[in-house]
Amino acid sequence: MTNNAIIEVTNMRKSFGKLEVLKDVSFRIAPSEVVAVIGPSGSGKSTMLRSLAHLEEVNGGSIRIGNEELVHNGVYPSGGKIKEITSRMGMVFQHFNLFPHLTVRANLELAPKLMKKYSAEEIRSKASSLLEKVGLQDKGDVYPSNLSGGQKQRVAIARALMMSPEIMLFDEPTSALDPELTGEVLQVMRQLADEQMTMIVVTHEMSFAREVADRVMFMADGEFIESGTPEQLFGSPQHERTKAFLNRVL
Amino acid sequence: MSLDYLWDITGPMLEGARTTILLFFLAILTSIPLGFVFTLMVKSRVKPLAWIANVYIYVMRGTPLLLQMLFFCFGLPVIPVIGEYLVMDRFAAACLAFTLNYAAYFAEIFRGGLLAIDKGQYEAAQVLGLGRWHTMTRIILPQMFRIALPAVSNEAITLVKDTALLYAVAVPELLHFAQTAVNRDFTIMPFVVAGVIYLAMTLVLTFFFKMLERKFKFD
Repeated sequence: MTNNAIIEVTNMRKSFGKLEVLKDVSFRIAPSEVVAVIGPSGSGKSTMLRSLAHLEEVNGGSIRIGNEELVHNGVYPSGGKIKEITSRMGMVFQHFNLFPHLTVRANLELAPKLMKKYSAEEIRSKASSLLEKVGLQDKGDVYPSNLSGGQKQRVAIARALMMSPEIMLFDEPTSALDPELTGEVLQVMRQLADEQMTMIVVTHEMSFAREVADRVMFMADGEFIESGTPEQLFGSPQHERTKAFLNRVL
Repeated sequence: MSLDYLWDITGPMLEGARTTILLFFLAILTSIPLGFVFTLMVKSRVKPLAWIANVYIYVMRGTPLLLQMLFFCFGLPVIPVIGEYLVMDRFAAACLAFTLNYAAYFAEIFRGGLLAIDKGQYEAAQVLGLGRWHTMTRIILPQMFRIALPAVSNEAITLVKDTALLYAVAVPELLHFAQTAVNRDFTIMPFVVAGVIYLAMTLVLTFFFKMLERKFKFD
């Protein structure tokens, strides 16, 4: 961990009504770091990730992305500022959330077109190269309903990459997939990691966490219990709860 | 029963069908946008707007269309003082009643369409940086209309048949001419012909909406 962290979360707290989902969460992510977040369901992993993308508003604490604060001591800036900061992140969801009424290519091109992020030709060629990158160059004119789960998730990754994010957030990207389809999605993510993309991956895929992550963070009951390299965390976990969790899933 | 007779009674009925069709188009083309406005009001964060729209929908769905039509045709003009300014052409009053009534149903149909859209669609739009306007116009509404299409089709077919309620306010339309012919000639044939004409109209609508559904099938 270096001082020039690209993401720095300090004392983040989040409650849904009386339920405290995140209790005082702090962590830092270095540029190009690939972090896997593991932990039992209901431990707050997804809420943590969603808070980074501003899909949830935290009740306290600070989130810094690059040099700007998405939230400072529980206080958010203006909507425009929030959009500017969150635009540096792309997100991939468990259930893909592709737009069913648009073709694969239109799914990719819609946001950059509306945001006028690039010229029309640039958008087209970027979409083509990203489709090729995820191995779906022949699926551009197909609607999402005709794709397999693995293909849908690869389209979702390509769609997120269209906006040229510096950070990619993955919220259980393979949890809704048949086991034989997870490989093709993990392959694309592995490739992104190789290209030095900063990634936070909430996952139940322990083998992926072990092979690809630079660091694994174990979360339980709204707190980070421990974190370390995959060798440390899987090889010699320090906390009882980590041990108990790993015993159950491995 | 000669063909000539059939032709003689069909002429006026087709003439009456023009009124039927005119009412249909006026009502559907106004009540769909108006219904959508009520959907937006119901979903609005401005609570009084939502409240007004909910009461409106409750009243319009909770009372008979026939009562509403009579209310506009014959009720409004007898209100003391202002009544004399509220006298409308009966066809216009009927159109108004149809529009206001059907808008309430369309509002609920569109609301149902919105409910059917997964919240992941809003979230995906948000993380891609789309604003509220683009999210609504590019992501949510196209899906809402597609989901609502079968119910809209159903409602449109009901509307064709409801136009016969014009009979009650003595605006001559298809059914009026059929009834006149039955009384005059003492035969059931005009009713049969009227039924066939209604069926022809609903058949056209059925095909039209099937075509729309095919066009907006996303696969």
